[in-house]
Amino acid sequence: MNRLSFRKLALGVLTLVLFILGWKLVTDARLISPIFFPGPERTYAALVKGLSGGPLLAQTVETVERMLYGWLLASAVGVLLGALIGISRRARAFIAPTLELLRPLPASAMIPVAIAFLGFSDQMVLVVIAFGALWPMLLATIHGFAAMEPRLYEVSAVLGLSRFQVIWKLALPSAMPMILASLRLGLTISLVLAVVGEMLASRAGLGQSILAASRSFRSADLFAGIVILGAIGLCGSRLLSMAERRLLRWQAVHR
Amino acid sequence: MSVSRLSPSVSRPHEEQASPAVQSRIGIRDVTLSYGALQIIGGISLDIAPGETVSIIGPSGCGKTTLLRMLAGLARPTTGEIVLDGQPVSGPSRSVAIVFQDYGKALLPWRTAAGNVSLALEARGCPARERPEIIRDLLAKIGLSRHADKYPSEMSGGMQQRLQIARCLAQEPKVLLMDEPFGALDAMTRQALQDEVLALTAATGATMVFVTHDLEEAIYLGDRIVCLQPNPGRIGRIVDVRLPKPRDQLLTREDPEFLRLRRDLYDLIKDDHQ
Repeated sequence: MNRLSFRKLALGVLTLVLFILGWKLVTDARLISPIFFPGPERTYAALVKGLSGGPLLAQTVETVERMLYGWLLASAVGVLLGALIGISRRARAFIAPTLELLRPLPASAMIPVAIAFLGFSDQMVLVVIAFGALWPMLLATIHGFAAMEPRLYEVSAVLGLSRFQVIWKLALPSAMPMILASLRLGLTISLVLAVVGEMLASRAGLGQSILAASRSFRSADLFAGIVILGAIGLCGSRLLSMAERRLLRWQAVHR
Repeated sequence: MSVSRLSPSVSRPHEEQASPAVQSRIGIRDVTLSYGALQIIGGISLDIAPGETVSIIGPSGCGKTTLLRMLAGLARPTTGEIVLDGQPVSGPSRSVAIVFQDYGKALLPWRTAAGNVSLALEARGCPARERPEIIRDLLAKIGLSRHADKYPSEMSGGMQQRLQIARCLAQEPKVLLMDEPFGALDAMTRQALQDEVLALTAATGATMVFVTHDLEEAIYLGDRIVCLQPNPGRIGRIVDVRLPKPRDQLLTREDPEFLRLRRDLYDLIKDDHQ
């Protein structure tokens, strides 16, 4: 098992190295002008410079904070609202059509609406992030609650569990795998919308910094920002995967 | 309430107190059940005494499981009524426990064995500090002491079904309903569990209604056997089992009376199929 995961890791790293090597070959051959497309060395140099003393570190913190707040807000609202809707068949029948209408709306299309109400502010970006990241969590929670094993409802009736106990001890844990998967999806959406929000509303952060770098042809800075965004996404997803594995220990045998 | 109600010394006086009028623990009075125009159960009446074990057999589609679900309060009769200790049954209650055949669906996969038993205690408001001891006792009673911290997915089918029985016992039920509980288990596990269930009902004085496909299982466990007939489900015959107790997997099954009953029931069921 350990040897296998080591091999997997080694292969993953090898692919990454090959990718960077290919990148270097393309830039060294000057297939694309270095004004638009920096090589890995220049990107790395810009990354080091930006993070040590440069503005990149502060901007990263800004973007991560924005992403996390929006995600937390969306998670809290999504899971709570999803539980309320999912637990009652009648509520599902009433609300589901409206949700289906709202869900496919691109969150970026909501930005002008949010700007109209909240102006070019941090709150506006926060609301846009929360709105966009809400859907996967809301729908996963509704489906998770609705998909609870019917036998368990009978067990709860015979044991005499209260309605609150059924929600807390049966429905929530049984919806947990779906909810956790949606939290991971929501985090990715939060990152995307944090960057878009920063670009459109010109709030401090990596989004704004990338846009500024691109407009002034500082391609190395642009790519440094992109690398950091990739790293944020990877770390967030990895952390949530770890939490998932811990919380869903009971599933381990099935996997 | 504590587990002590499960001990024979406490449950016996309870039986003696019962006046002749309400001597039966379960009364099934002219019960029918229809879904629309389709009649599933067509008029069943039966009295079951406290401490008695009644086996229910019959071809598939005769309403065995439906009858059991009505006893559990999970389904309502269309006409007639079901009475528990003189009180009409209007819904599920803690005094009637039911063991489902599909143990995999009836257990909480995210809780350990101890946690699954605990659910029944939490439901009846048992204080948290009293729970560990009761759980230990129950798991010991059903032979799962060493597996308290395992998740259902780490347990064999037999162990999972034992766990479901332990959780039912944690309800401290007066009546134990079993819906083909051992149907999915191998023969050896099946026999071991049959003996455990007999020992448990003997020790607790619980009344048991046992639905099964298996004629031998019905005879081995039952004080009486109710044979249902299909379309709509109704009682075909009631057979008394006069085999000595405690029963023994070898001696009981070799008893001429056992063999005679098996022949009788086999003919009966076969006739229904034609």
